[in-house]
Amino acid sequence: MYICEYRYCVMPKKNPDAFLPLRSNWFHILLCLVEGEQHGYGIMQNVLARSDGKVRLWPATLYGSLKRLIEAGLIVESGDRPAPEFDDARRRYYKLTTLGRRVLDLESQRLKDLVRALEARRRQEART
Amino acid sequence: MSGWMTVCRRLYRRTAHTFPDEFRAVCGDGLEQLGEDVVPLVWQQQGALGILRLFADLAMRLPYEYLSTWISKIRELTMTNDIFEGTWTATGEDAQWDVPGNSKPQQACVRFEATDTGYLMVAYGIVDGKAVAERPQAISTDGRRRPLVDLNGRPIPGVPAGAVAFGSHSDSLTLEIGAEADGRVLSAATYKVSADGKTLTATNHGVGPKGPYKNVWVFTRVVPDPYVPQG
Repeated sequence: MYICEYRYCVMPKKNPDAFLPLRSNWFHILLCLVEGEQHGYGIMQNVLARSDGKVRLWPATLYGSLKRLIEAGLIVESGDRPAPEFDDARRRYYKLTTLGRRVLDLESQRLKDLVRALEARRRQEART
Repeated sequence: MSGWMTVCRRLYRRTAHTFPDEFRAVCGDGLEQLGEDVVPLVWQQQGALGILRLFADLAMRLPYEYLSTWISKIRELTMTNDIFEGTWTATGEDAQWDVPGNSKPQQACVRFEATDTGYLMVAYGIVDGKAVAERPQAISTDGRRRPLVDLNGRPIPGVPAGAVAFGSHSDSLTLEIGAEADGRVLSAATYKVSADGKTLTATNHGVGPKGPYKNVWVFTRVVPDPYVPQG
């Protein structure tokens, strides 16, 4: 139509690095969602089990974090439902976005680098 | 003990129900449901102390969510209106039109919505008696060159490889956007709002699929904005 010069656009993307270091609660939630879509109760149980009972996301804290993760574009509510026999119709399911996955990868790498640096320092100390 | 559980579950549901509408709009009644579901579990695992922590979590989060909502509302209220923001319309009669192979629109509308990084621009109109719309454009106004992709970040068929787009404000009333590939200008446009904010002059030129083109439109602001709920 050429009303507005051009029919292309530029998509300003959120910089995944801007989310680092990731809040601990956010990291645990994103980690749960790597395995697939999950509802609030599932996330809570998953985090508890994964941390051997050390990290419990209480409901209001969990939902406060879910809200902020949605607003940040790291997760979305999923429209897909599991098979009826595995589904609880009351529950809302959440899934990772591409940005969320990227942020999780970067945070995992950051933590790995930190551990690597710490181990190198310990080895150095042990030698001396 | 089931009576005690029922009271706790009801109390949790009622308290969770008092969270701000903005919170509930995103989370639905997930918090109420989860709270109700975990009350028996927490009681079983941690006893009265667990129930206390469950309610403490709710009590601490409630003022935090209200504060967060109020801060958002204050931000919204104090946000200065962007002069480009709104809906603009023009008829083809007064437009200068030199676009090979494309009929002159009888009517054109353009809408700017301010975003964190610039604008979302949507253009539509009537060409040969039919309603047509252009691809929505996200415009960044920081002057940086970015790859030309669609709103979902996907490549656009027909766009030359390596093409980039950019945008910037040359002054508070003027927006300049453009696209180029291999140093060759594909398009350049200037949007200038009049000092009284009532008209928008759009000057476009570039090289389209059928050769160079140029057009100039003078849009008038639509008041009240049809996209903003009135009352």
